[in-house]
Order: sequence, then structure tokens, then C-alpha cells
Amino acid sequence: MNLIREIWQSIVRRDPLSTDKGKSELVFHNVWLHIHPAKVKKENMRFKHTFYLGFITFFLFLILVTTGIALMFYYRPYPPQSYQDMKDLQFVVFLGPFLRSMHRWAAHGMVICVFLHMCRVFYTGSYKKPRQFNWVVGIMLLLLTLGLSFTGYLLPWDQLAYWAITVGTNIGSYAPIVGGKLRELLLGGHTVGEAALIRFYVLHVAILPSLVILLTIVHFWRVRKDGGLSKPVWKLKPRAPEQLVTIGATPQVAPMQTIPASKDKTYGLMEVVTGKPNFEIITPEEEEDAVFSYPYAFFREAITLMVTVTSVMAISLFFHAPLEEMANPAKTPNPAKAPWYFLGLQELVSHSALLGGVVAPALMVIALLAIPYFDRNPSRRPSDRKWAIGLFTAFVVVNLVLIIIGTFFRGPGWAFVPPWVHVVAGPE
Amino acid sequence: MNRRKFLSWGTAGMVALCSGVVVSLGAVIRFLVPDVFYEPPQSFKIGNPADFPYGPPTFLADEKIYVFRERDKGFSVASAVCTHLGCTVKFFTSDNRFHCPCHGSVFNENGSVEHGPAPRALNWFEVTETRDGQLRVDKNKTVPPNYRLMV
Ligand code: HEM
Ligand code: FES
Repeated sequence: MNLIREIWQSIVRRDPLSTDKGKSELVFHNVWLHIHPAKVKKENMRFKHTFYLGFITFFLFLILVTTGIALMFYYRPYPPQSYQDMKDLQFVVFLGPFLRSMHRWAAHGMVICVFLHMCRVFYTGSYKKPRQFNWVVGIMLLLLTLGLSFTGYLLPWDQLAYWAITVGTNIGSYAPIVGGKLRELLLGGHTVGEAALIRFYVLHVAILPSLVILLTIVHFWRVRKDGGLSKPVWKLKPRAPEQLVTIGATPQVAPMQTIPASKDKTYGLMEVVTGKPNFEIITPEEEEDAVFSYPYAFFREAITLMVTVTSVMAISLFFHAPLEEMANPAKTPNPAKAPWYFLGLQELVSHSALLGGVVAPALMVIALLAIPYFDRNPSRRPSDRKWAIGLFTAFVVVNLVLIIIGTFFRGPGWAFVPPWVHVVAGPE
Repeated sequence: MNRRKFLSWGTAGMVALCSGVVVSLGAVIRFLVPDVFYEPPQSFKIGNPADFPYGPPTFLADEKIYVFRERDKGFSVASAVCTHLGCTVKFFTSDNRFHCPCHGSVFNENGSVEHGPAPRALNWFEVTETRDGQLRVDKNKTVPPNYRLMV
């Protein structure tokens, strides 16, 4: 018994969790947990502040990594074997359809959640100083998430995959000067073929996930270094009304508060330097409000993880990821549609490939990246930022409307067909 | 080593390092550009003239071309690749037009855009007769839509 205890203690090396010291050592003696502060502000953990969307996105990414690795055991990135392997996964591999569905639905979920997370960060004004750069890291993560979806889309090598990537990469070739070359580089050829499949595979399983992992580490580190999560908007104090002052009167200054040193607290200081910190500073009252991360934050995160995993599992039990006929370069399905989150783009492209497919998305990305540097209003209170909120909401609505039109209102030949009208056949 | 020497060696070192990085990046990108494409040839035989009927064009799926044969005029070959984003267009005899399923471009029988987002007319490819009497199409050579091969 003693040996077991000794082994256990050699691993955990902390005081019991019933003590405050144990609770904080749990966090900062552990390489995985120490990205958290030992204490968190209780109010910041409220569901209605973050909706835990960042965490859900991260957990979906973890699901994607694990199920993705499982699928790699059966998948060969070479046509037409790729399609055979998908069929095998669908019909003869134990748990194959389930894992494939989990991978597919988690991917859709990640696109949705990363977008909603961005909206949450915007509406709570959490990209403002000192968090500007973390917003930029976030936009990179958003683009990488879309890149992962796009590259993953080709891998099943079915009709949907083939034509979505044909159309998608042709959009890129409209970019001035470099467009055509870029497409050739991405495809490793002039059309979507063997060379394109292996390139998309390498991007999908190695390069893009590594970049997501790297940037996620930066993203989390930055949340911590910017002073933890932003304060919920309902806790923000209204701007102090302007006061009339009598010139010549002595200003009233509150005396400095001194906090008595306590005997049971120890502090370690690495170095004393001069200069102002560039993270958010909290007041002593707020410090009082803080609770230990264990169990308060960890418990919530664990619940979020469990809810995310069980939801994806439950959906995958009842709905299976689709697989169409094998890719056939000679026959374009009608209508040929990209994945739903690119249908807004496809709708734009149906009007003009250069303006809709290159210029508009490039401007959107630049605008998103510029938000924290362009919006110089220091206030995070919604009532002070009517313009910003209005513009961003317009951006979200336009995107949603385009996606809805592309998904539900476009029939054969990309003709405008409301979903309640059933098209029997095109012109023949 | 004096200050001047240190700075000039330092600068030279930095320049060497940066050029090394730039050259390596260039090499990596060049590595990704294939020198050999294992793709179907751009110039190929499609068979004997007699294989092709008069009337509606024949669609060759693997080559993605439409072969037209008109009485007294001869052969012409149109590309089936939509000039918008590369979907395969389909010829409908009902209205004598090419329709693209992806974003609804419509091309008339000369390949000109009638409708939709396609920026250019469909390509027409050169078709010639080989010495053994077969038809040869060369996708590298585009020709005007009134080009015809009489055999
Ligand atoms: C792979 C994608 C992403 C992951 C895994 C991720 C994860 C997270 C997590 C776990 C948090 C902690 C708070 C929370 O749950 O909301 C967070 C905060 C934050 N995220 Fe993300 N995020 C991603 C993408 C983005 C995007 C697209 C943006 C915006 C463009 C963004 C901007 C931010 C900012 C500014 C914060 C700090 C918010 C605050 O202090 O209230 N992130 N992220
Ligand atoms: S690819 Fe033909 S209309 Fe877009």
C-alpha cells in the first residue's frame, strides 16, 4: 500500500486538494493545467458571457484529431482506392460509419462554433486592448478551420468531393497574376487528379492540423497573458459622468490602500523591473471575487467536454455522413454544390468569379483582421458601440443570407428555385 | 576585433543568413512544382471520321469534348469545360445550347456566352486528319468557332 502511495505521490507531488495550497499546486505543477491561472474570476466563467464556444471549438478539434487518426488506418490517398476505402469504412469496417460520421459532424460543428465564438468575442468587445492580437490569431484559426474543411472535402473522392474542389480551386485561379500558378501548385497538375489528392491529404492530415495546434497554443497563452477572460459586459461600469471642477481647488485623491502582508502567504519574485504591465489589472475587490480553478473552472470545462463528445456521438449514431457515387470527371452533378459554408461564396461566384470569388472574400478577411486596430472606441459597453455592432451584424446577416440562398434556393443550373418547389427535370 | 570589424562581419553574416533562408524557401516552393505531369496527353486521336454521326454532337467523356459533324461542312470540336469554373457543360438538343450545371451559364452552338457568369466563349480545338485517316484533336491549339475540317 505504501509503495502505491509513494508512486502516486511521485507523480502528483502536491498537497491534498482540500487545502488551498494543494488546489493551486494542482494547476501550476501540471504542464497541461498550468495554462490556467490558479484562480479565476467567478463572474467570467458565467455561461452567458462566453457560451463556452471557444472550449467547444477546441474539444471538437480534439474529436477531429482522434477520429481522423482512426480513419487514417484505413484510408489510402490514391484514386480510385480512396473511394473503395470510404466504401469499406462505410460497410465493412467495425465502427467505420460511426467514426466517419463523428469526423464529419465534428468538422461541421467546428466551423459553426468557431464562427459563433468569433461573434461572441465581437459582441462582448473582447478584441479590444490588450486583446487585439489574439483576435488576429483567432482569425488565422478561423481560416485554418475552413482550410481543413476544404482539404478534407476532397478525400472521399466521390462526386461531391471532385466537383466542389474543381469549382473551388478554379475560383482561386481568378486571382490576378498568381492565380493560375497557385492553383497548379495546389493541385500539382492542371486538373483535380491523383497529384491533387495526395497534396490535399498532406495538407489535411499534417500541415494544417499542426498549424492549428501551434496557433491554438499561442491563442490560449495569449488569453492568459492578456489578463484572463475579459470582464462580462454586465460588469462594466458606465463611463464616469464628466464632472465640473473648480480651477484651483485641490484634487481629491483617495489614499493608497495598503494590503497587510499575511503570514501564511509566500511570494516568489523573479525580478523587479520598471514600466507598466500590458495586461488588464484587477482591483483588490475583484481579487476577492476570484475562486480556485479547481474545481470551479475545471469542473465546467469537463462538463463542456462531456456534452460536446456525447452530442457528436449521439448525432453520429442517428445520421451517417453521406457518400455519393465515385468521382466522375465527365459528369457534373446538377446542381453541383460546394459544402454549405462555402455556398455563400459560390452564390457570389455565380454572379462574378473575380469580384465574388476573389475580391469580396479577400476584403472580408482584411476587414476582419483590421477590426481591433480600426475600432478605436475604448468602451466595451454595447450601448457605446452601436455602429460597430450594427456593421458586424450586417456582415453576419449578409453571410447567412447568401448561405441560405445557396443552400435552399438554388436548383439545377443554379436557377432560383424555392425549396417548396420540386424540380422534376431540367431542359432536355 | 574592433567595433567596425564586428559590425561588418555581423552584417555580412545576417545577409548570408537571410539569403540562405530566402533561397531555401524558394527551393521548397520549386520542389512543389512538378516537372512531369502524369496527365492524359493534350493531343490525341479520337477515331475514324465515319464513327461520328451527323446531327447532334458526340460527347467524349474522357476527353471532355464535343465533336460536331455537319453535312458539307465537316468536323469541329468544342471543349466541354465551362470557362467559368470548370464544370462539364451539357449540350441539349431541345434548344441547341450548352448548359452548365454549376452556376447556370448557357452557351449557344458557336460556344458564345448567352447567359450566366461565364466570362468567355467555350474553346474550340484544332482537329486534323492523321496519315492513317483518323481524327486528331489538339487541346493546345484553339481555333475560331468557324474552323472546320473537311474529310
Ligand atoms: C480553432 C479555433 C479557436 C479555438 C480552439 C479557440 C479557443 C478559445 C478559447 C478556449 C477561449 C477562452 C474563452 C472562450 O471559451 O470563449 C478563447 C478566447 C478568445 N478567442 Fe478564441 N478560439 C478559436 C478561434 C478564434 C477566432 C476565430 C477568434 C476571433 C476572430 C478568436 C478570438 C478570441 C479572443 C479575442 C479571445 C479572448 C476573449 C476574452 O477574453 O473574452 N478565437 N478562444
Ligand atoms: S462552372 Fe459553369 S457556370 Fe460556373
